[in-house]
Amino acid sequence: MISVTPKKLSEHRVKLDLNNLSPEQVALEIKNLDLYYGNKQALQNISMSIPKGQVTAFIGPSGCGKSTLLRCINRMNDLVDICKITGEINLNGENIYDRHTDVAALRRKVGMVFQRPNPFPKSIYENVVYGLRITGVNNRRVLDEAVEKALRSAALWNEVKDRLHESALGLSGGQQQRLVIARAIAIEPEVLLLDEPTSALDPISTLTIEELINDLKKQFTVVIVTHNMQQAARVSDQTAFMYMGDLIEYSDTNTLFTTPAKKKTEDYITGRYG
Amino acid sequence: MAIASKSANYRKVKNSLAKWIITLGGISVLFTLVLIFMYLLYVIKPIFESAKVDVTAKFVINEEYKVLATGVDELKEVAYSITEQGKINFYQLVDGDGHKAGDKILSQPLVADGESLAQLINVGQKQKLLIDSAGNVQLIVPSFTANFTSGKRVIIPSIRYPLGKEYLPIDENNAAITKLSFAMDDEKAIFVAFTQDNRLIKTTLLAEDDFNYDTAYDVQYQEIDYEAKQVNDILVSSGLSMAFVRQNDQVAVFSLDYEPELKATIIPQLAQNKSTPNHITSMALLSGGSSILLGDDNGSVSQWFEVATDEGREFKEIRRFKVSDNEPITAIYTEQYRKSFYTETPSGEMGMFYTTSEADLWRGNLHQGNAQALSIAPRADGLVVFSNNELAIFSVKNEHPEVTWQALWQEVWYESYPEPEFIWQSTSGSDDFEAKFSLVPISFGTIKAASYAMMFAVPIALTAAIYTAYFMTPGMRRKVKPTIEMMEALPTVILGFLAGLWLAPIIEIYLPAICLLLVFIPSSVFITAFSWHKLPRKYKTLIPETWAPIILIPAILLASYAAFALSPVLELHLFGGDVRQYITNDLGISFDQRNALVVGIAMGFAVIPTIFSMAEDAIFSVPRHLTSGSLALGATQWQTLIKVVLLTASPGIFSAVMMGLGRAVGETMIVLMATGNTPILDWSIFQGMRTLAANIAVEMPESEVGSSHYRILFLAAFVLFVFTFVVNTLAEFVRQRLREKYSSL
Repeated sequence: MISVTPKKLSEHRVKLDLNNLSPEQVALEIKNLDLYYGNKQALQNISMSIPKGQVTAFIGPSGCGKSTLLRCINRMNDLVDICKITGEINLNGENIYDRHTDVAALRRKVGMVFQRPNPFPKSIYENVVYGLRITGVNNRRVLDEAVEKALRSAALWNEVKDRLHESALGLSGGQQQRLVIARAIAIEPEVLLLDEPTSALDPISTLTIEELINDLKKQFTVVIVTHNMQQAARVSDQTAFMYMGDLIEYSDTNTLFTTPAKKKTEDYITGRYG
Repeated sequence: MAIASKSANYRKVKNSLAKWIITLGGISVLFTLVLIFMYLLYVIKPIFESAKVDVTAKFVINEEYKVLATGVDELKEVAYSITEQGKINFYQLVDGDGHKAGDKILSQPLVADGESLAQLINVGQKQKLLIDSAGNVQLIVPSFTANFTSGKRVIIPSIRYPLGKEYLPIDENNAAITKLSFAMDDEKAIFVAFTQDNRLIKTTLLAEDDFNYDTAYDVQYQEIDYEAKQVNDILVSSGLSMAFVRQNDQVAVFSLDYEPELKATIIPQLAQNKSTPNHITSMALLSGGSSILLGDDNGSVSQWFEVATDEGREFKEIRRFKVSDNEPITAIYTEQYRKSFYTETPSGEMGMFYTTSEADLWRGNLHQGNAQALSIAPRADGLVVFSNNELAIFSVKNEHPEVTWQALWQEVWYESYPEPEFIWQSTSGSDDFEAKFSLVPISFGTIKAASYAMMFAVPIALTAAIYTAYFMTPGMRRKVKPTIEMMEALPTVILGFLAGLWLAPIIEIYLPAICLLLVFIPSSVFITAFSWHKLPRKYKTLIPETWAPIILIPAILLASYAAFALSPVLELHLFGGDVRQYITNDLGISFDQRNALVVGIAMGFAVIPTIFSMAEDAIFSVPRHLTSGSLALGATQWQTLIKVVLLTASPGIFSAVMMGLGRAVGETMIVLMATGNTPILDWSIFQGMRTLAANIAVEMPESEVGSSHYRILFLAAFVLFVFTFVVNTLAEFVRQRLREKYSSL
């Protein structure tokens, strides 16, 4: 009946009761979030808690609002003039949509990786230290250490250590995406948002990134948007299925893929639409 | 099947046709460019060619007596010789009208029977001053008229006597003359002579009316205070103001304007590197009459003229030509209208030089030993030489001696200037004028105008581009961008006209206001923006947020009004009522109404759309995912702009600025109308300039086709061409490098 057989990357998945998480277990709490693009409502009353130190995947058909929701978490939607948001997203108990929130500081706590690799037209080294430099860190030793640490975490160090000062644009697509991840984690965020991080990559690179995601959750809370259900099944601990701006179902990945509670979820994961 | 193959054929034809048309278009563009380049070079080439002297005819002519002088008509068809016997003989040089080349066509006595000529002095290229054995003088001009009665051009020689047919005594006391010099204009003729009894005398003939119409005159005799046993040379300047008297190695200069008096003494420093002492051997007046040339034993010729120094006017050695290594200069022949001169050494070696450009034009040997008589053709396009009973005619091709690399690009010491300078002054009302063709001031003007324009345009255009592309709302951008781009379509002649006739006087009158605007406009923008930021929300909603920048318009207008209103007050209290007077008198800075400030603003205005449009495109096309990436890393908008957007857009921004520079360099109408066209070398913002483009536009219509001036204007065009070519190539090179480095995905 279920066509997807998830390959377990993480063996010790702890099953959490997502409706009753203790405050220490919660990384992000989304409460009654509505989002409008002009007059069109794109997200409807989303409420969910994203647990700390785990990988949470958002899946759903194109246009369902999963990327929009992800971008709400680090307020990237602010850049869209016609976008209006109501509701709350709490990070460490503070509402990021509070008037007094420093958006730049928020984004340092909530890093993001985009669909297409977007290294800056600078050297590999400068790409990684970009987030540090803009906060005023210029100490060479600190930067050197951060570069090595971030690149090792992103499993890129061995491939680029001899050409740190060459242009980042000379790297392959998969390497560029890992560089962008290294850049995001170099500033040591609490949450890492991945917006379809492998959709522009080949299968081998995709595999590398997926393995990397599994390593990253030891340090960060990871939220990933993907339209690849197998990927969600492989890498995530929790999965949220969204449809037409609604959060349809949110549970641990195993449950969602094997015994979905809602008809819509089942239709989607069995490939009836999407 | 048939249809398929028909359409395939049709496609094939269309394909190859398109290919050929596109290839043809590409090649013709390239061809046109090369053609322009070649044509410019073709016009320019002659000015860098050296002179050529070729023999055109030689005739054996047995004169019984020594030839004192020779000459030729303007067309070089009839030559003449004046012999010691006192006869002038005209010779046909080309076959025609019953005469063969070499035939004597006219012979006429110039002295009374029994007399002979003691001396003959060449005055200019046409006049000959004859001195008979009694010491009386007569001025003759061998003249030539063209006659077309037989249907063919026939040159008929005759002799004119500008001062009358009678021989006239020069000395009151009737002493014999040993040396004599002469010059005349329409009203006056001056003789300066040294007599047998060692007196230097000046005799002036004052025309009763005009020497061009009749020969009646009054004579005035004067004696010049000068002690000498003998003199070697006497020269009277063609302006009748100075006489140069050489005695051995000293030249005394007398002013002739009123009572003759000693003005200066020229004592040249002569190189003493030979066993025998070095001496002056010859002296000649350069065309224009203010320079003299001194030839010496050592084979060099030096040019001297009067320059203003701290101690008053003084004769100085200006430049020196090394003619020969070991031979003395026996004669110097100067052209009448140009600063060219010929030298001659005892072995018959001749050289041709040009003083201003210091050009060493030609060396050669035209005859064995010294010529008995040598004359330069009236149009300076030939030489006629009598030597050893041979009459030789040479053609001289020396059309552009005044142009050398050095004259164009280095400081040149022009006549009567206190020191070598870069000057552009191509024409003047006077014939004695020394053309000054330094391309330095006009190239400098081009750079200056472009620099000021860029100083005005680049900050405005780039900040506008950044704001429009990066901060402005899309709705507003859609209106603002085409509006600014439309400014580019404004004819520059209108901009120039407004700048010259409207803006320049305003800037002159309201100079303090212009300075205040520099402070007022930015601060009004900041204050307005800050107040807007602090304004309670309920007022802000009165204007749609996307159109909020509109409130800057009244703010800027108000700031400008304030600046102009304050201007007279400031002028009164700080600058004593008149800024212009203050700048000129108190600060000692000269102020032109049409100055670099006006040009900077007007031409800046013209290049803003170019720079804006390209830079805006470059910034706008920086991919969104790069800015998002930066913002997602916690960078502020500003940091993202500086560190990512501008960096990624840098190749585009760079080409935008370079395109603007290219436009500013080549711009003609604005600089023509708003610069004052003064070719001066001064960075001052209050002074004008003349640019290469404006110079071509101003002078091309009045320049004689084929003249040096005409060709130099083409050279200026070529320099402009090279200038833009170099700038563009350099820009393209830098842009490619930047693009390699910073191109985005």
